[in-house]
Amino acid sequence: MSALEIRNLRKAFGGLQVISDLDLRVPSGARHAVIGPNGAGKTTLFNIITGWQRPTSGEILIQGIPVQQGRPDLVTRGGLSRSFQKNMLLESVTVLENLRVACQAFHASRHSVFRPCRSFSDVVRKAHDAAEQMHLDNVLHRNVNALSYGQKRQLEVAIALCAEPKILLMDEPAAGTSPDERANLIKLINGLSSELTILLVEHDMDVVFAICDVITVLSYGKVLATGTRAEIQSNPQVIEAYLGQHHA
Amino acid sequence: MSTEVTSCEPRAVPKLSAIPVSRRFHALLFVALAVGLCALPAVVSGYTMTLAVEIMIAGIFTSGINLLTGYTGLVSLGQAMFLGLGGYGIAIGTALLGWPLWVSAPVTLVVVAAIAAAIGAICTRTRGVEFLLITLAFSQMFYGAVVKLRWTNGSDGMTGIPRPDLSLLGVSADSPATFYYYVLAVSVLALLLLWRIVNSPFGSILVGIRENERRMMSMGYAVANYKIGSFTLAAMVCAVAGILQAQYTYFVSPDTMSWQTSGEGVLMVIIGGASVIFGPFVGAAVFVVVKQALSLITDEYNLFFGIFFMLVVAFFRGGVLGALSTLIGRRR
Repeated sequence: MSALEIRNLRKAFGGLQVISDLDLRVPSGARHAVIGPNGAGKTTLFNIITGWQRPTSGEILIQGIPVQQGRPDLVTRGGLSRSFQKNMLLESVTVLENLRVACQAFHASRHSVFRPCRSFSDVVRKAHDAAEQMHLDNVLHRNVNALSYGQKRQLEVAIALCAEPKILLMDEPAAGTSPDERANLIKLINGLSSELTILLVEHDMDVVFAICDVITVLSYGKVLATGTRAEIQSNPQVIEAYLGQHHA
Repeated sequence: MSTEVTSCEPRAVPKLSAIPVSRRFHALLFVALAVGLCALPAVVSGYTMTLAVEIMIAGIFTSGINLLTGYTGLVSLGQAMFLGLGGYGIAIGTALLGWPLWVSAPVTLVVVAAIAAAIGAICTRTRGVEFLLITLAFSQMFYGAVVKLRWTNGSDGMTGIPRPDLSLLGVSADSPATFYYYVLAVSVLALLLLWRIVNSPFGSILVGIRENERRMMSMGYAVANYKIGSFTLAAMVCAVAGILQAQYTYFVSPDTMSWQTSGEGVLMVIIGGASVIFGPFVGAAVFVVVKQALSLITDEYNLFFGIFFMLVVAFFRGGVLGALSTLIGRRR
């Protein structure tokens, strides 16, 4: 069974067809990238998969179960978690609190109204583990608005991982990072469990090639090609529409 | 991977010298405040005690607003509706239906909670200015209803609201000092409950919603339910203040539900410091005392109070408590 399956997906904004008849299968444990020029429909696709936008028609299945449209919280509970293109963090609280709140979402303590947060030590411990996994353990008690941009990108991914997802969607995780930060992020993502299915949207082809085995190219909301790095790099349509000669 | 979590380990009782200065300062301040509040009726005039009661009732009301505005990030101009519903609820229960106070008060709170949950389910579908306006609209709707309804006695309001029967303790709540202690006890209880709530996982979710609602949804939280929960709890806290207010004056009128009352509550939150548990009480104290002092000097006290408020907003970032905490930080 595929971890993620998209069947005949269509999305139109008024008369503008952003995604048309899109089919995509991502097997469990795959590292799959979706690339394409600006306006190809990548972020819209992500928003539909994660429940933020409703498709005009079509079906999305996570582990064989249809996604409930319009409920991002239920999509996350269904095993699919995402990081955002622009940082979506709890800015005025600490890194630890961001991660603790993220871990708490899947713990019975989220219904607790009178017991102090710190009395749920397993949640705090899990937050510490998530920070360690993404090398944020040295800035745990720092407020998010005092972090570097690269650290914020790491926190984005760490928060998504707190949900212990089966599928992780990352929307341009390396956007705006310095070369050092990018290299660090690639190392951290490649260090994640091989059982985790990753779907990545990224413009930086070096990041895509460093992380993903399979690449799908979107153009004007349609799948232009799907294949391995070598297949994509040698595909004349992809070279013309997106890659150019530099990455070919 | 490390599994050691220092913040959750049981703590040994530290020696006094080992306690940080800030914690010792806070503990000392807290003890002085507690002693001062308990001794107040013995050392001040009846007028000052009256002011203290007004401050505490306003503090509870403002604490309800703070839960919604300061912690959840939902700025409401309709919380006076619940202050009024608390007052009218207790008045209807005791004066109209003849129920004892110990029945009327919990029934009032349950009814207010049900009304708030229903209104909250509608209002929390909006945010920002829309939320502010829709809460104002609901508040005005209830204001209009109590003015028009015959059994709430229209614009004349309802009288005959009893204070609690404390004869078992050998005291009468009609005495200013006893009523002061009664309001103090309810204030402490309300503060303790709110302190537990804002430090609980539920409280941390509310703060998360204030910080980034989309992220919270993406984390897997059913944000709408938590916002309704916050709206309902805030309404119940405001209703407690409404019950005390009605008992204090033995009277409730539609003015309690006016939008000006809601606006004053928001002002108190800003003056005291939003998302700080003591902020509403500090804001209420500053608001009541400054307004009283200005009214003794001039009839145009609202003009000067407006200037005072602008100065607080312009120069006291985070309200009075925020400014104090910055000042203490600089001195160190």
